[in-house]
Amino acid sequence: MNKLSIALWAVCLSLGFAVAMAGGVLCQEQLLFSPGHESITAAFHQFSTLIVGNWHHYGSLFVKWQPVLFRNIFFWTIVCLPLIFLLHYLAIGPKSFSHEKGEVFYFGVFTRVIHWVAAIFFSLLVLTGLMMVFGELFGGGAFVRFARDVHIVSALIFAIDAPIMFFIWVKDMFPMPYDLKWLFMMGGYLSKAKRPVPAGRFNAGQKMWFWLSTLGGGYMAWTGYQIFSFGVETEALRLDAIIHNFLGAVLAGFFIIHLYMSLLAIKGSLRSMLTGYKPREEVEILHSRYNAD
Amino acid sequence: MKFLCDVERCINCNGCVIACKEGNKVPVGINRRRVVAINEGRPGERSVSISCMHCADAPCIAVCPVKAIYQREDGIVLVNKDICIGCGYCFMACPFGAPQFPSGQVFGARGAMDKCTFCAGGPAETFSEKERKLYGQNRIAEGKPPLCAAMCSTKALLAGDADVVSDIYRKRAFQRGSGAGAWGWDKAYGGK
Repeated sequence: MNKLSIALWAVCLSLGFAVAMAGGVLCQEQLLFSPGHESITAAFHQFSTLIVGNWHHYGSLFVKWQPVLFRNIFFWTIVCLPLIFLLHYLAIGPKSFSHEKGEVFYFGVFTRVIHWVAAIFFSLLVLTGLMMVFGELFGGGAFVRFARDVHIVSALIFAIDAPIMFFIWVKDMFPMPYDLKWLFMMGGYLSKAKRPVPAGRFNAGQKMWFWLSTLGGGYMAWTGYQIFSFGVETEALRLDAIIHNFLGAVLAGFFIIHLYMSLLAIKGSLRSMLTGYKPREEVEILHSRYNAD
Repeated sequence: MKFLCDVERCINCNGCVIACKEGNKVPVGINRRRVVAINEGRPGERSVSISCMHCADAPCIAVCPVKAIYQREDGIVLVNKDICIGCGYCFMACPFGAPQFPSGQVFGARGAMDKCTFCAGGPAETFSEKERKLYGQNRIAEGKPPLCAAMCSTKALLAGDADVVSDIYRKRAFQRGSGAGAWGWDKAYGGK
């Protein structure tokens, strides 16, 4: 073997090594694979993940619930509750209390102002919310769009007012053992008799309404803001819309209960929120555990 | 009426997006059509052009609280912008992100929904100024295919009657084969 052949061998070997190396690198980087080798199913799987994402979670749930369930919940809330209250009004009737025993100062000026701001804008929220839920009845368009604008403005004002209301009343709103008793006897509203019912400054029903309207209202404001701004992932947005609808129905229900109690079921209840004074007899019976003095 | 994007032909040129935007005078920030790509710059790169799919059983129609969205006889799904309140439910219901919203007047609240019309205009009178302004061209009434599909340089994006479109795609897929059989002069030039 001469020097030339050795050199040739060496060149061949190193060339071969280089080709093998290059091939290895190309294979590793998938540069030698043809497009045909890529499964089209795998590609569509990637497309689907990018485009559709997790639609099958809350997306399909939203599509399933929104057309029928949400509208039905709202419909039965605003139809059934007033019907029940009509029956109650006819069968048992409202409670009225005499002012002969004097009056108890219940709500300060600031409390009343804050309450009425909340009352006005919460009413608007419920009303315009329902107008959107049943937007089809109004034919959509500019009228329902206006309702939506009012909904947004009212929500802003309520979101500022509600926290103040929360701090004014929170100390009287913690659950007490006797609240259970109040719930079992339905607050004494199922009988005409004027027997003292176990309740502090606020009864269990008022406490539930308080927590729902402040914390629940706050959560409504949060989910509502997300729906308004579209500032989160679409998946979270869908969940927000579902929560906003369910919680909205619960709040609308409690709103109707509160309306009935304050306007019709307890005579003079509306007046107490205007003047700040409740009849002493009413406090002794409906808020028997409250030490007014 | 259906769109079908042949992902083995789409070259991510975004011609369909531009054609749609320009031809229909779609405002800035609204994308009736977009191109989604995977493995960009790497082997296995593919892209697909996506818009409203004009679903046979469209979820947006089901969830709309004011019944602003409707389906034509030929399957094209359209929105009536005079009725739409911009609540955004259709966007939450749509698996493809097709519904788009311009920023409205009050506190930046959303305006009426805008989406691909299959270049079939809208509920306003055909060829009227109102239709052109609110919804864009009505090429279907003119007997033309949608702008995006008409402008597609590789004819990856097909639009038309679902049976016809799927037939074209089936023939293509059969002709080009798949896997190792997809390679070679024969496939590309038919033995010439």
